[in-house]
Amino acid sequence: MNHRKRSALAVAAAASLALVGACAPGNAGAPSSAPASAGASSAPAAEAYKPPTITLGTAEDSKGPAIPPEGVVKGGTVTMIDRDDFAHFDPAQIYVNTDANFGLLISRGLTGYKRIAKGDYKLVGDLATDAGTPSDGGKTWTFTLKDGVKWQDGSPITSADVKWSVERMFAPFVTFGPNYIQTWLTSEDYKKAYPGPYGGKELDNIETPDDKTVVFKFNSPHADANYAFAMAGYNIVPKAKDTKEKYDKEPVSSGPYIIKSHVVDKSLELARNPNWDAATDPIRGAYPDVWKMEFGQEATQVTDRFVADSGPDQTAFTFYSNTPAERLQQVLGDASLADRRMISPSPYGNYYYFNLDRVKDQKIRQAINYAWPAKQIQQALGGPQAVALPTTILNENTTVGYKPYDLFGKTAKPEGDIEKAKQLLAESSNPHPTIVYAYNNLPTQEPVTLVIKNALEKAGIKVVAKSLDRKTYYDSISQTKNEFDLYWGGWGADWPSGSTVMPIIFGPVSDGGQNMSHLNDPTVKAEMKKISENPDINAANEAWMNLDKQIQETITPLVVAENRIGTFLHGSKVGGAEIDPQQWIVSPNTIFVKQ
Amino acid sequence: MLRFLTRRVIGAAVILVIISGVTFFLFFVIPADPARLACGKVCPPETLAQARHNLGLDQPVVVQFVSWLGGIFFGRNFEGLGTCPAPCLGYSFVNRAPVFETIIDRLPVTIALTIGASVIFLTFGVATGILAALRQGKPLDKIASISSLVGASMQIYFVGTLAMYFFVYQAHIFPQPKYIPITEDPLGWFGGLLLPWIVLAIIFTANYTRMTRSTMVENLAEDYVRTARAKGMSGRSVVLRFALRGTLTPIVTIFGVDLGQLIGGAIITETTFGLQGIGRLSVRAVDNSDLPTLMATVLVAAGAIVVMNIVVDALYAVIDPRVRLS
Repeated sequence: MNHRKRSALAVAAAASLALVGACAPGNAGAPSSAPASAGASSAPAAEAYKPPTITLGTAEDSKGPAIPPEGVVKGGTVTMIDRDDFAHFDPAQIYVNTDANFGLLISRGLTGYKRIAKGDYKLVGDLATDAGTPSDGGKTWTFTLKDGVKWQDGSPITSADVKWSVERMFAPFVTFGPNYIQTWLTSEDYKKAYPGPYGGKELDNIETPDDKTVVFKFNSPHADANYAFAMAGYNIVPKAKDTKEKYDKEPVSSGPYIIKSHVVDKSLELARNPNWDAATDPIRGAYPDVWKMEFGQEATQVTDRFVADSGPDQTAFTFYSNTPAERLQQVLGDASLADRRMISPSPYGNYYYFNLDRVKDQKIRQAINYAWPAKQIQQALGGPQAVALPTTILNENTTVGYKPYDLFGKTAKPEGDIEKAKQLLAESSNPHPTIVYAYNNLPTQEPVTLVIKNALEKAGIKVVAKSLDRKTYYDSISQTKNEFDLYWGGWGADWPSGSTVMPIIFGPVSDGGQNMSHLNDPTVKAEMKKISENPDINAANEAWMNLDKQIQETITPLVVAENRIGTFLHGSKVGGAEIDPQQWIVSPNTIFVKQ
Repeated sequence: MLRFLTRRVIGAAVILVIISGVTFFLFFVIPADPARLACGKVCPPETLAQARHNLGLDQPVVVQFVSWLGGIFFGRNFEGLGTCPAPCLGYSFVNRAPVFETIIDRLPVTIALTIGASVIFLTFGVATGILAALRQGKPLDKIASISSLVGASMQIYFVGTLAMYFFVYQAHIFPQPKYIPITEDPLGWFGGLLLPWIVLAIIFTANYTRMTRSTMVENLAEDYVRTARAKGMSGRSVVLRFALRGTLTPIVTIFGVDLGQLIGGAIITETTFGLQGIGRLSVRAVDNSDLPTLMATVLVAAGAIVVMNIVVDALYAVIDPRVRLS
């Protein structure tokens, strides 16, 4: 979503953007577990979607410059058009993908993702010489800064800046960014543990033995801490130029560009940062000389402008304006747009959560999973080109070591297996249960609700549909004492591992929390803790995938929902435009202007 | 006249305070929590409380309103963000800027859109109405009547979208609508707004044609017009000096209302053409639960209506000597 809107739920915002529709040829975007499956059979044959490969890079990989895309040309002015301006420039306040993506242009962190080739990425050192060195079983992480990395004023970026940047995230004015590192350094209630550096107090477990070295000492092992540091929220802020709240408006650049002008919600222009050195940066190509950004354009207008491809729009692209449903067939059917189309499934997890406090019988939850009308929902939302049908909790785009499974026969019967559902209901505590289904009052959700109601009622389940206002939807469903049995919710991984999904969506049960199924199982909790502290990241990734299946098998707290597929266009004189599969947004790193 | 204007200005100020108060309190009736938008993806209750405190939402509603009202006259100091000099309409935590700055940035777009379109629809509407009245029952009258009926039934989002598709994207007759300050590039300003002006004028012209025609027909049948004709005055003078003057009073009335509404925000027009004016700003403010911006846009809209009403009342006196006498 949207909304734009700057929803506190980043995933919800992105998902609401997606609600306007999207598509892909054939089964592009369908999970690899469902080749040409799940309703994709009616779509034209096309190359199957391949989720990205994300591996750990070496010190050699961490050297700049970035690997250029084919045919790259330096120079020129590129224009980006979208609906909304960026909400935050202060890295500490950045969580939403749109802000993080823009952040690549003006700020840098310790680590980041280097594009090796299309769909092939490596976690490398960004400001750091490599992706970090763990010790003490993953409790201690050491990073060394590269030579020659500077702020826009030419002053060197030091380990003191890194330490300061993390410390300031504890300050009361920071309410929006990620909180992984803060909690690992202190406790869950990290704001109480440390008030931030502005009063002169430092965090002892971030050490800076010299100007180039920074050592983080966590309370427990975190084998994937270097992935956490790749989040834009952990990008670096200069200690000497920190203006607290005001920094959000006046950021100091460490990236390839500086903000030349910015009229909020209207326009933004970037010029080159003379103190950025491509030789130190393995991630950002920074090919155009000037970036002009234009806000206030609805998705339909953006699409129409790209289809028309006239004048200055030829050198324009969009970060996130997904082709809306009403333009989708036109965009997909026009062969002349083929080389200007970008298609990628969303990296977010979308779920219909059961309220386990109310739907207590697992047989009923399994029956609903079997009866679930995935194919009909897919049709209601634009067909297989617009929506893929995953079968796992973890998303293939954001899970290293992704392993597909299909517990409820969705590949074979995407329309639902009513007979199997009836059989399970007959074995349950209530063969004719009533389910209160709460849905977000959005135009796209009305037909989906109808489809769900019809399907479940065929199995003998009475569905009471409750429409909730979109502004209060998330607040309503995230109340622990809510009066609903089933509701949609989403979550996006913060790095490609189950560690930023499972412990959140099955984490602490609290009002406003993300554990919307209210799953509170000691075995699951113990297993999550064990995996989180596993110093072997590969073993941990495998274990997350196994836990995904185990939870669905033994508890069934949710129905895995449909996954949107985004279709984006760009102007004919823009090269290197690619959707970042992790962020579901066009990456600025490879963009160039064709001459 | 001065007393009249003073009375009306004081009345307008009272109306604006009442409207602001009602908007402010209504905002808090809505269950949406703006602090939620300032709280991250993981938003524990303590962080949410901190966000609420940072936004000043933990203060009683009355205190918040009085602070807001006081800011208009005396300015305000926003902790950590600096001072907001009078007239301070609040600080938008969504736009990260004092609201007054944003309003000043957006107002020229809406004013340019309004004035340009007004010139077109007023000129064409009144001219067509006069011609139709003078050619009553003739083909020109019928064409004008049918056209105005069609125009009045059109919607901006329909005509605007079609116009964009055919004239901008297909035929490339008009450039992509955009606002360029007239001081920067007068031709760019004109070209960027021409299509929105025309589309807005198509919808509004119809009302003026119909209103002018019907009032003109009535006026042409008045005794004083007949007398003027009987005294040998030329047809042109009769129409322009007598009949038209009588026709102008209702035209000025609806023009004042239209102008006020358009300055308050041509929401659909601005959205259709991607123009960043007051209308779009107000929609975004509602979407983002951005109370300070919402308050300011409501104030601008209400202020525009109130001011235009005062201007219309003053113009009556200029147009109609009977008003001056009374």
